[in-house]
Amino acid sequence: MVKENLPDNTLKTLVPQAEVPRVVKPAPPRYRNEIAKYIIRRSDNCRLCGKCVEVCPQGVHVLKEGYKYFAAPHQHVCIGPSCQVTGHYCVDLCPQKALRMVENPMMKLLGDYRWTADMILATWKMAETGEPPPPEYGYEYECGNSGGGFDRIRFKFPDKPPVELSADEIDTSLELNRRNDGRPPIRIDVPWYGGGMSFGSVSNVTQLSKARAAVAFNTFTCTGEGGYMERLRPYDDHTITQVATGLFGVREETIQRVRIVEFKYAQGAKPGLGGHLLADKVTSAVAKMRETVMGISLFSPFPFHSVYSIEDHKKHMDWIKHINRRALVSAKVSTPIDVDMVAVGIYSAGAHIVHMDGGYGGTGAAPDIAKKNIAMPIEYAIVKVHDFLTREGVRDKVTLIASGGLRNAHDIAKAIALGADGVVVGTAELVALGCVRCSRCESGRGCPRGIATTDAELAEQISVEWGSQRIINLYSAWRKDLVDILRRFGMRNVSGLRGRTDLLMHLDYNNDVEHKK
Amino acid sequence: MNGEMIERLLLSRRRLIKELQPHTTERKLEEEGGCGVVGFCCTEPVPAKHIYEPSMQMHNRGNGKGGGIAALGFIPAQLGVSREVLDDNYMLHIAFLDLGVRQTLQNKYISPHFNVVVSQKLETLDDWTTVDGLEAKPPDVYRYFVRVKPEVLDAFIAKNNFSGFTKSQAEAEFVNQNSIRLNQEFYASLGEQKAFVMSEGKNIMILKVVGYAEAITKYYKIEDLCAHVWIAHQRFPTKGRVWHPGGAHPFGGINTALVHNGDFANYHSVCEYLAERHIYPQFLTDTEVSILMFDLLERTYHYPLEYIIEALAPTSELDFDRLPKDKQFLYRAIQAAHIHGSPDGPWFFIIARSIPEEKAFQLMGITDTAMLRPQVFAFCDGEVQVGLIASEKQAIDATLLSLHKDDKRICPVAERYWNARGGSHTDGGAFIFDLKPDASGKMQMRCSDKFGMAVPMPSGIDACDFSANIKVGNGNIKNSIQQCFEKKTAADIFEYVSKNVQQWSFDDIRTACGVITEPAKEPRNTTTAIKALTLLNDRRYSTGSKKRNHVIYILRNALSRLFRNIPKFDSEGSSDNAYRLIDFDTRGLLRAPHAGETTLVINANGFTPEGDKCDAALLMDGYLNGWRHFICFNCIGQRFIGCGLGPETDGVTIDVYDSSGDYLGSGIDGLMITVHGNAQDQVGQIIKRGNLAIHGDVGQTFMYGAKGGSVYVMGNAAGRPLINSVGKPRVVINGTCLDFLGESFMAGDVFNGGGFVILNGVTFDDDGRMIPLREPYPGSNLFSLASGGAIYIRDPQQSVIWQQLNGCGFYRMTDEDWDLILPYLEENERLFGVKVDELLTVNGKQLTPAEVYRKVAPVKITALGKKTEAPTTEVEELTISTGE
Repeated sequence: MVKENLPDNTLKTLVPQAEVPRVVKPAPPRYRNEIAKYIIRRSDNCRLCGKCVEVCPQGVHVLKEGYKYFAAPHQHVCIGPSCQVTGHYCVDLCPQKALRMVENPMMKLLGDYRWTADMILATWKMAETGEPPPPEYGYEYECGNSGGGFDRIRFKFPDKPPVELSADEIDTSLELNRRNDGRPPIRIDVPWYGGGMSFGSVSNVTQLSKARAAVAFNTFTCTGEGGYMERLRPYDDHTITQVATGLFGVREETIQRVRIVEFKYAQGAKPGLGGHLLADKVTSAVAKMRETVMGISLFSPFPFHSVYSIEDHKKHMDWIKHINRRALVSAKVSTPIDVDMVAVGIYSAGAHIVHMDGGYGGTGAAPDIAKKNIAMPIEYAIVKVHDFLTREGVRDKVTLIASGGLRNAHDIAKAIALGADGVVVGTAELVALGCVRCSRCESGRGCPRGIATTDAELAEQISVEWGSQRIINLYSAWRKDLVDILRRFGMRNVSGLRGRTDLLMHLDYNNDVEHKK
Repeated sequence: MNGEMIERLLLSRRRLIKELQPHTTERKLEEEGGCGVVGFCCTEPVPAKHIYEPSMQMHNRGNGKGGGIAALGFIPAQLGVSREVLDDNYMLHIAFLDLGVRQTLQNKYISPHFNVVVSQKLETLDDWTTVDGLEAKPPDVYRYFVRVKPEVLDAFIAKNNFSGFTKSQAEAEFVNQNSIRLNQEFYASLGEQKAFVMSEGKNIMILKVVGYAEAITKYYKIEDLCAHVWIAHQRFPTKGRVWHPGGAHPFGGINTALVHNGDFANYHSVCEYLAERHIYPQFLTDTEVSILMFDLLERTYHYPLEYIIEALAPTSELDFDRLPKDKQFLYRAIQAAHIHGSPDGPWFFIIARSIPEEKAFQLMGITDTAMLRPQVFAFCDGEVQVGLIASEKQAIDATLLSLHKDDKRICPVAERYWNARGGSHTDGGAFIFDLKPDASGKMQMRCSDKFGMAVPMPSGIDACDFSANIKVGNGNIKNSIQQCFEKKTAADIFEYVSKNVQQWSFDDIRTACGVITEPAKEPRNTTTAIKALTLLNDRRYSTGSKKRNHVIYILRNALSRLFRNIPKFDSEGSSDNAYRLIDFDTRGLLRAPHAGETTLVINANGFTPEGDKCDAALLMDGYLNGWRHFICFNCIGQRFIGCGLGPETDGVTIDVYDSSGDYLGSGIDGLMITVHGNAQDQVGQIIKRGNLAIHGDVGQTFMYGAKGGSVYVMGNAAGRPLINSVGKPRVVINGTCLDFLGESFMAGDVFNGGGFVILNGVTFDDDGRMIPLREPYPGSNLFSLASGGAIYIRDPQQSVIWQQLNGCGFYRMTDEDWDLILPYLEENERLFGVKVDELLTVNGKQLTPAEVYRKVAPVKITALGKKTEAPTTEVEELTISTGE
């Protein structure tokens, strides 16, 4: 970060930047009994011979010295039916035939059509191990089951890669400043960065975990619109600060410390509505950060009240660029029918990044009536904007970022193939921390995993170290998946994938047979 | 015009449309973003070069992809015609993108129908690429002075059953229909655009290009062409690669030109409405429907201007309820008939019309009902009268200065500057300048609102003759002032001058200024001189029968001269000079202050309004180099002054003179900014801490998202001040606000470090005496959905009613409240001379605070929050708004 020309008083607020190594380490679930896909039932025939304990490499079965009964099994490490062919299938090997494997009935309840149970568990597995989940686990996680969106889009992989490349020859980095305006270039190592979740909507620990993972992968996280936590200062160089319509927590020194400032005009999950933080979540800490009244709901207005026209928008961005002469500016918008117009307007007003947020994501507090029912689906919006900007001759002067319900490396790759330069992810990071997608985020004490809450007791469940490692592991697994996709196409870098809609097919419109791996 | 005649007119259009068969009701291929608009009218015709300045000033509101100007009220000789020809004939301006079609076009659409008195090709420069600010070759323009041939007109009247129409109404309709046909064939149908009608009125011309507006004056060589009315538009289109001049503004109708800043959300709906009346847009920009609407309401329905304005910008909500009953009845009928043609979305129109029957002209500005676009009006009275309308005040000031350079009877400071309250019962959101010749043929200007009420002007009538040299007379003046310098008391100079100004002549005043600025050249006197002139500029006092704005101009000029005399970095100024001047040319010489140097004086003229090379950036660099005191003068719309200095800037002071721009003082944390005049829009956003004093009005979204600050405003705030504020801002506004004061205010508990606004609702007469406004707050949505803080309104008559609130209640003032706000009122007195005792005086009698001030504060609404404890202030006389 170039720190010259900053006022002394801002320089004084700078702290040494944290270093976080990009190392995969096991990060097992923080609960002894995490949710599992398959469960083993033990009947009374069991004689406690201990054979099952002996044979299971995962350590599912737990029999303690001197105990009369088995302890509860570690269900979540069982690999399921694929164990049958391994020779250590406990069900077959039990002399008493006391064991039986069934699919956990909770699988029918966990998740939804977009984040299926398999997708959630696979994400947990990636967050635990840093690797794409082994096929034995049988997770179907490349696509969900929503019947729309990215779930109907597949890659058309060739039988053989046109060029043989090894994994370390493949470059997944992305340059964010393509404007050539004298502001410093910023190259991130992976074509994604973390979405804005404010302190208040999520806990301290959640924000810090996201920030630390961003440092490890030389990418970014975002503060959301609730102000800039002091504990985030060691991560300034990898933090995007958000200027949202309520202007919460926006101060000159927070703008001056960062390399990227994001204007949040809208969120895809609820276009036409501003930010919501309901009363129960406006705890005293949150109220103090935002300088408002505890226990009173906070609604950010829909528009910036000072921006009602393109020249207002330019003025607004000029303002931020004036305060921080080095920062890049990004504008986050939803996807109305004229999103191409919006995008070119943002570009012409001076932004470096156009960030389109589609409706598949969901800020925890988006009202049901708005969620996913408004605006253009992101897979159409990306293509529309990419094509339009290309025709206008400005495509390579602006970075196009897409977001809204991107769940894994396959979604990310599809978004890029449709025409985006990179993406922003949100929910997936929370799932890495153990989120079960129960959609109770807006209630302060209702988050069972202590992620979307600032309640001290609940938030205590996660340590920063564990949380960071989970996201680092997830990113690691994603990168491996992404590299594999690129390898199969024989592409040396991820920018080669951009706009390659010829490599995609939409199951509704094509009858091509999907190529299997 | 009765209903039957309207029917026949519409039928005639239906026949036309059937013939032309346009393929779609909508033709919006290009998208408007927003832009800058300016217009002015003058009782003397003035040359085009005066529209050059404000157009240049508004470059940052456009992107050079479209610009246009309109002019009305020419001098016949300059166009090579007689007075009769100019007054009687339609001036058809046809723009040719392809000159090859000219003969065909003339043979089909001109010669058969019109008696062409004169036809001229507009002169241009030989090489368009030599003109700065043009993106494409401008169209070749032909001007035809025409009347419809009598036999053609008779046939037209017969065919359409127009008996009962006056000849001139029928002729206007013919001209319009002919233009529609012409445009359809040569522009609107599929295929390449070849030619189109740019304007079709009497004594009116529109020119537009793909480029910046002021390039027109150069390319068409009209810098010396004089007209009574000028409007200009800088466009910011964002979609489409090939720009057509046809898409730029102004758009013309019969005798009318319109420019638009903003965006229509309901273009489709308005097109449908127009299609029902057989009107179809032909150009590629949504603004066109507004002129089509205006023309429809005026020429088809024959509505008076008030009805037209109501149809475009309907009065609603509380403002509707406060209209007199007969107006409610009338407006309800207008709305029922025309609501679907009312453009929705942010918009501000400037419309210029010629009224040939009266040899008169009109310039008007209309704002949308939510006031989402900035707008400023100004009036400059005197021997020559000038009315001005613009997106930013600094464009107005640039115009006046330009006019003054040519004609010293025009003062660069206007009599009055004000904003319109959109869709209101107070002014209807529109102001109109009427230019009409009096009995002797001399043009007179009048300014009125939508309801026809004249805008009150200061009463001073004596003007200063700026062209004459000063006749130095009174030796006393020199002596008295010099004595004050000996004692180093600026306050004494101020006392002396302000008391005597009433009797003095303008020469005396100019003498006095000279006596103040002369000694300022010596370092020991500079501060005294600056302070004295600043006080004279800021404060209110009687100027006798002299025009106050002329006095102000003299003072500001003196200040400017004083500042320009300050030594620069490269001059061998005396080493004990506390001040250093820096300007655009010497900006590279900036260095840290040497011992004894305290104040950096920045001449803003020449700096861009924003960007790396703006003066606000230079100020930042000055701060980084160690300067702590700043003066910015000669501002013409410079933005972001005081921004970017970062946290904890206590002890820094910035004094701003002349026409500062938007976003001033946003984000400050500890420093003090004083604006010695009006400020513009988005002032003081996200202020964290610090002091802001404005000796005038402020514009839109004042202190949006503010978190603190001690702020004092001498005059009024415009729309949406202090919305979304948190923390502890403490603000005194002496005037009033347009609407939405303190919406979503969240600033805690006033007795526990929270924030509040004191709204005094007063103004000052010509003698500087305080007089209460008719109502301290005319709008609605007062403190709407606020969850913290309070507003203290000076409202002894209890004119503010609960219907103006939304989620708050009235509370009685307690001693605790008064103890809390008194220090701020005392500071207000120190800054502006607004005496606390006078504020507490009603009809000559001094009352208690509780009898004069009322408190507006949040009522706990369970839907918004958890149950908390009861409010700490005792609640008597509580009236709860049920809200909507």
